[in-house]
Amino acid sequence: MTDPRPAKQPWNKSSKVASFKGGRGFADAILIVVSLLLSAVVFALLLSVLWSVISAGAGALSPQFIYQNNRYISTTTSLEYGGVGHAILGTLWLVLLATAAALPLGLAIAVYLTQSQSKLRNLVRSITQALAGLPSVVSGLFVLSIISFLGAQKSGIFGAMALFPLMLPTVARVAEEALRLVPTDLRLAALGLGAPNYRAFFQVILPAAKSGVITALLLGLARVVGETAPLILTIQANNGTNLNPFDGGVATLPTYIYGFISAGYASSITRAWGASLVLLVLVGILFITARLLTSDKKRKKSKGTK
Amino acid sequence: MTNSSVAAELRSEDVSVWFGERQVLKDVNLTFRANRVTALIGPSGCGKSTFLRTLNRMHELIPGAGLAGSILLDGKDIYDPSVNPVDVRMEIGMVFQKPNPFPTMSIRDNVLSGLKLSGMKADNKDELLETSLQRASMWNEVKDRLGEPATALSGGQQQRLCIARSLAMNPKVLLMDEPCSALDPGSTRRIEATIEELSESMTIVIVTHNMQQAQRVSHETAFFLADENTPGGVVEFGSTEQVFDQPIDPRTNDYVNGHFG
Amino acid sequence: MPKDAVRRKLGSGVLNRGDRLFFGITSAASYFAFILVALILVFLVAQALPALKEQGLAFIYGSTWEVTPEKAVMQIGPMLYGSVLIALLGVLLATPMAIATAYLIVFILPKNAAKLATNLIDLLAALPSVIIGLWGVLVFTPIAQGWADFLHKYLGWIPLFSTEKGTTSLNSSPFIAGWIVAVMIVPIITSVTREIFSQFDRELISGALALGATRWTVFRRVILPTSSGGITGGVLLGLGRAIGETVAIYYVLQLSMKINLFQILEPRGGAIASWILSRFGEANEVEFHGLMAAGLVIFITTLVINLIANLIVNKAQPWRK
Repeated sequence: MTDPRPAKQPWNKSSKVASFKGGRGFADAILIVVSLLLSAVVFALLLSVLWSVISAGAGALSPQFIYQNNRYISTTTSLEYGGVGHAILGTLWLVLLATAAALPLGLAIAVYLTQSQSKLRNLVRSITQALAGLPSVVSGLFVLSIISFLGAQKSGIFGAMALFPLMLPTVARVAEEALRLVPTDLRLAALGLGAPNYRAFFQVILPAAKSGVITALLLGLARVVGETAPLILTIQANNGTNLNPFDGGVATLPTYIYGFISAGYASSITRAWGASLVLLVLVGILFITARLLTSDKKRKKSKGTK
Repeated sequence: MTNSSVAAELRSEDVSVWFGERQVLKDVNLTFRANRVTALIGPSGCGKSTFLRTLNRMHELIPGAGLAGSILLDGKDIYDPSVNPVDVRMEIGMVFQKPNPFPTMSIRDNVLSGLKLSGMKADNKDELLETSLQRASMWNEVKDRLGEPATALSGGQQQRLCIARSLAMNPKVLLMDEPCSALDPGSTRRIEATIEELSESMTIVIVTHNMQQAQRVSHETAFFLADENTPGGVVEFGSTEQVFDQPIDPRTNDYVNGHFG
Repeated sequence: MPKDAVRRKLGSGVLNRGDRLFFGITSAASYFAFILVALILVFLVAQALPALKEQGLAFIYGSTWEVTPEKAVMQIGPMLYGSVLIALLGVLLATPMAIATAYLIVFILPKNAAKLATNLIDLLAALPSVIIGLWGVLVFTPIAQGWADFLHKYLGWIPLFSTEKGTTSLNSSPFIAGWIVAVMIVPIITSVTREIFSQFDRELISGALALGATRWTVFRRVILPTSSGGITGGVLLGLGRAIGETVAIYYVLQLSMKINLFQILEPRGGAIASWILSRFGEANEVEFHGLMAAGLVIFITTLVINLIANLIVNKAQPWRK
């Protein structure tokens, strides 16, 4: 005889959800439709952004756009001349400087949060979370006030300084998660062999968390490569390539875009789109690499030991 | 360089153990004689593993851990304030319940990892590598694939690798916390054979749930028991034959005859 | 055998020199986080003080900003109000979308689609605000303007959707800025909500559905009430982010000291961060201090909002600790 109980429906297959009869089924239909619609709006907006950047930016792209700088370019020069080479270098260089401080410090904070037994841990975590919410313009103003205090000139190093507080919390948070994922018995095994904590960390725990730490780095980078306001406030723009962080302006992709939008001419707008595409590709590479590393680690973990 | 460490006697005197405010063990007095295998048996949760961890000062890694009494290795208190716990763990090794080889290292590096971790120097690493794997009864299985990642091994092999890893440190005492509970019977038997061989050169303390195993491998047995909400302690301690065949305490009798636990 | 065993002191004691250094460095790094926040506060306050002393409390609520070589009156009232208005608009628009997306990901989509959707949302979070700003002013504004025209045409009698006499084109309004901000904060709210939704025991829900409960009842009576706390935290995080938003809405908003209280379609508004950006280029020393003071206001506001938000979110997601 057939089983009189209603069949168990897996709830995550919307087509087999409770049958749409009567008032109750109606509400469900509305719920699903509304969720789909509203989510669709979100994804449509995202796709719109991506599509505009790709299609409008492609128009500006050329090999010369990528590697040339804008030394002799004005805002109305046609797109055959000049490019974003200097801005790409500037972005990479400043972000590298910020990383030089943010990576070790972020890692150290992550180690503290996972390995120390101090009662201050929760406080440190709260402060790090608070830093995560720091508006980028405030970070720029902070460094600007340092510049004014020191009587110094705006220059690249200050831009890197303004990026640092924005990068630090991301690195610390993701690195902490990565360290937490390392099974505790690895640490115990290392300590059991007579290792002091620091050796256990560097020789066992850190290598085991390697992909997670790299993810932390990549996500931190993705966070700051696109930051505009802090850089506008602390660095002069520059049409040429300048990698001296202590003297003169440094062009970066976000400030480049900002400047060329403000100019308003058709050709400068196209340049802005082109630079946006380059920036988007950069962010995309960082993001996708980080994702691949995470899913790779998850796959390895589930395969694990036999 | 010889590969046989001088086995040592380990003794606990009036050891009581706390987790924060909760006392989990009271007045444990045991002597682990040199070149002997001592089994710690008893129902779950009565503090056997906790006690084991006091023997190599791993217990104090837990926040709020407390201890009273002393633990003497060849007469010297390992909890003396002047003693560095790291040094203690170099002389008293530990094998854990779940095999935990270092996943980012090859088989070779795993075996030798103790050296790098503790800062010990070794003259002939290859010799030490081979000897340790021989003593763990797995040299022949892996000698041709020492560069492979340790995670490529089966569970039983991984546990023997962990044993080899501990042996490379030439410890005087080897602590084993239910080392076979996660393994199949074949691997278990191999490890039990290894334990027997090892006892010739070191002192072994093994926590086990498996009473047949205790009878197979150990010379002496300590029976732990804890009533609800009271600290655990040693009910009976004596030679394995005596504890199992002619237990003095009735509770021991009940346990070894399977009436509870 | 002593009756009361003397408990020995464990831990600390003889630490390796290496370990002392190790814990020393990690502690120092962590205290540095405190110092950094303190430094930001100190420096901002130091720079802001001259302006604050001069302007007094009216700095916060007044609506004049005139800087001449002789004197300067600097007040951020309309800008601060505008930021809050736009942030609220953004939250209002973003929250339903975020909750819907989180619901979709956790309870409707099959695993692979859910993973893709999650990645897309995270990608949205990673998009630089200047790119969103560019898209916002060039691509989105015409579309949103269409919506604004529609609202104005049919619902213009409601004060919210009314405009000043003589206003012709409805670009550069708080409405459009609100949408842009919504795009920026949807990922945050979605992320928090998604984590909270994932916490529900799916077996339990499957069981309830099999017994005849509808998705809607389960959502309304079980999921929403339990999640509301955490979602509020997520919304607050979004709010904090929205108030500090600078470049994304910079091109999209017509900044004006004539305060716009509720006419969201009117092309006139304020946003304090964008205001700072627009003025700082030619600011003399006096105005510099005024802008710093504005920055201080942003800092404290977002700090407080974020502290509260994180408190709520941490409580709702205890595993985060």
